Amino acid sequence: MINRRRFLTTSTLAAAALAAPGLVTRALAQGEALKIGVPVPISGAFAANGKFATIGAVMAAEEVAAAHGVQVSTLDLDTEGKPATAVRKVQDALAQDGVKLFAGGILSSESLAMGKEVERGGGAFMTTAGADEITGVDCNKATFRWSVPTYGAINETVRPIIDALPDAKKWYTITPQYVFGDGLLNAAKDVFAEKGIEHVGNSYHSLTDKEFSGYLTNAIAAQPDVLLLLNFGAQSSDTLRQAVSFGLKQRMTIVVAWASGLEQFEALGPDICEGVYFGAQYWHGADTALNRELVAKVQEKHGFNPNYSFAGSYICAKLLLEAAVKAGSPDGAGVAAALSGLKYQGLTGEEEIRAADHQVIKDYYLLKGKAKADMADKDDYAEVISAGKSFLSPEDAGCKMPA
Amino acid sequence: MNPLDKPYAQLALALLTVLVLPLFLKSGILATEILIFAMVVAACNLLLGYTGLLSFGQGIFFGIGTYVAGICLTRWSVPVPLVLAGAAVLGAATATLVGWLSIRRQGVYFVMLTLAFSQLFYFVAYTFSGVTGGDNGLLGVPRPSVGGTALNSPWSYYTFVAVCFVAVFALLVMVTQSTFGRTLLAIRENEGRAAAIGFPTKLFKLEAFAISGAVTAFGGALHAMLIGVAPLSNIEYHTSELILIMTIIGGSSSLFGSVLGAGFYLLLADALSTVWPRWLLLLGLVLVTVALFLQRGLWGLVERGYDLVFRRERAPETPAEEH
Repeated sequence: MINRRRFLTTSTLAAAALAAPGLVTRALAQGEALKIGVPVPISGAFAANGKFATIGAVMAAEEVAAAHGVQVSTLDLDTEGKPATAVRKVQDALAQDGVKLFAGGILSSESLAMGKEVERGGGAFMTTAGADEITGVDCNKATFRWSVPTYGAINETVRPIIDALPDAKKWYTITPQYVFGDGLLNAAKDVFAEKGIEHVGNSYHSLTDKEFSGYLTNAIAAQPDVLLLLNFGAQSSDTLRQAVSFGLKQRMTIVVAWASGLEQFEALGPDICEGVYFGAQYWHGADTALNRELVAKVQEKHGFNPNYSFAGSYICAKLLLEAAVKAGSPDGAGVAAALSGLKYQGLTGEEEIRAADHQVIKDYYLLKGKAKADMADKDDYAEVISAGKSFLSPEDAGCKMPA
Repeated sequence: MNPLDKPYAQLALALLTVLVLPLFLKSGILATEILIFAMVVAACNLLLGYTGLLSFGQGIFFGIGTYVAGICLTRWSVPVPLVLAGAAVLGAATATLVGWLSIRRQGVYFVMLTLAFSQLFYFVAYTFSGVTGGDNGLLGVPRPSVGGTALNSPWSYYTFVAVCFVAVFALLVMVTQSTFGRTLLAIRENEGRAAAIGFPTKLFKLEAFAISGAVTAFGGALHAMLIGVAPLSNIEYHTSELILIMTIIGGSSSLFGSVLGAGFYLLLADALSTVWPRWLLLLGLVLVTVALFLQRGLWGLVERGYDLVFRRERAPETPAEEH
């Protein structure tokens, strides 16, 4: 069973300890090593995301080790994209390996389940998953979320477009029929009502759909000015591809509210993305100090630009490890206390971890796909149109943080 | 008959498995999951190996057991023995319904019907998210308590599941050794002839479905308590597929083969998934190998090994006795 666990141990750097001696706290100074579990899908349909996430966590571990002179190791936990497997791996890591810190959980269902398990095991967990419940009705004292929930994603994509296109009064939506999709749809309807937009129709689809031409035909029939896609991942890519092949880009503005970032642009290519609006949690071209630093380091070490999977895992792992160093222990209570209310310069600029629901308050980006001829390099797929912070209050989000 | 196929040998092997797993596995969670799937796969084996019914509906019953545990324990705090009994009863009832409609057809049409039911139940669970939690599942399913102490440590829950596993396995051995079990074998071999003798073959098949559904749902409830969540993925068609794969790899000619199949799959997945993202390719190769060269599965290998070791040793004795 040892083989399953790939410990990527980063060394203690004596020079770094000399450089930052005062930052290492009492407990960790005794030679205690920090371990962080990275529960992400390493095999299965989401394996590509998991691969970048594990590399991102290793980079964060190396940085924290170097900055504070502590030994940090990462433990890859393959969730296979299944909540049951994810929970079992987390339980094993807690019980057998003594891991208390967990950064990962790309899918909402596995993140919700893992958050409960980490809370039960006395650890701390930070995720980039999308479900509102993570910092809403199912919030708990061990779970933190870096990504912006559905409310912010809609408000930071739909509002700027309404303002930029005052004549676009008719919007059509395509929505995956489950809690996450309904969260996006309800938030969009609220904005439509407030701004006097006519919601001319919505098509629901299941999570297993791959063929969207029927929904697109309905959209064409409703003659909207804007087509708002509320699905994500492979489904939003498939919908967008089919919409472009139907010629919808020439007839209406297309908006993908919840894009995966660089991964999705690479999969779609510039011809499809040109002129399309995308909402994104992270963009490597964002002009912030930490992001510029990260991009340079990743380019130097790995020769590519960090994508959302990489960046999300990197920042979650880094925040958890820094908090453990500050608390002097990886135990969940201390880490949670160190993280709650923390303000810091993050990848999207100034970020803050709200104490009441453990939601990171950060920017969400509105991007617009560039024409191939305008791309400065192979990853320069989009320009940042706007960025901003929109969040429900913890009460409105439904979080009642357990004592 | 190979001595290992005798009922007491099968039961002894199951007991040995329960005792040996903690010695070889560091993870109590993994060991518990192996036992849960072992009983679920054995229940599938009752259909596939003993009745000749290749059902893609096992995930339905597993999911139902999961949801019974999820709903009863998170919303109503029902005592665990009642939850497990309720899961088994509902599993049996659902299996009776699915079986009653599916066994009207044979061969590929039977398989397609069970597949269709599998998708149907998945979408029912997906649609009624107010009851099932939809894609997010039901969170916070507690572990059972014994004597006022919650079985929160992995090995204490393992012990609880091990007792259940041995009881269920013994029950399945009794079923397969009974007249009922023998009749199922007769139906598998030649249904027309069994019917001609006067056996109500459809009723027998239906009863096999009900027993299989009850055990599978029972396992589903134990699984929800193991992982603390009742996920939508437990009622997906992929769960049916997984159970079938384990059954085929283990070998459908013996109930203990199912234990081997479950253990082999879960240990392989656990060992390889972080080492090689495409480890499922290897699983495909294993399945091809089993289908082409090892149709009796891992249990067939065990039988061959036993024959090689013991029958060869005994071989010289037979002529000596004859002289």
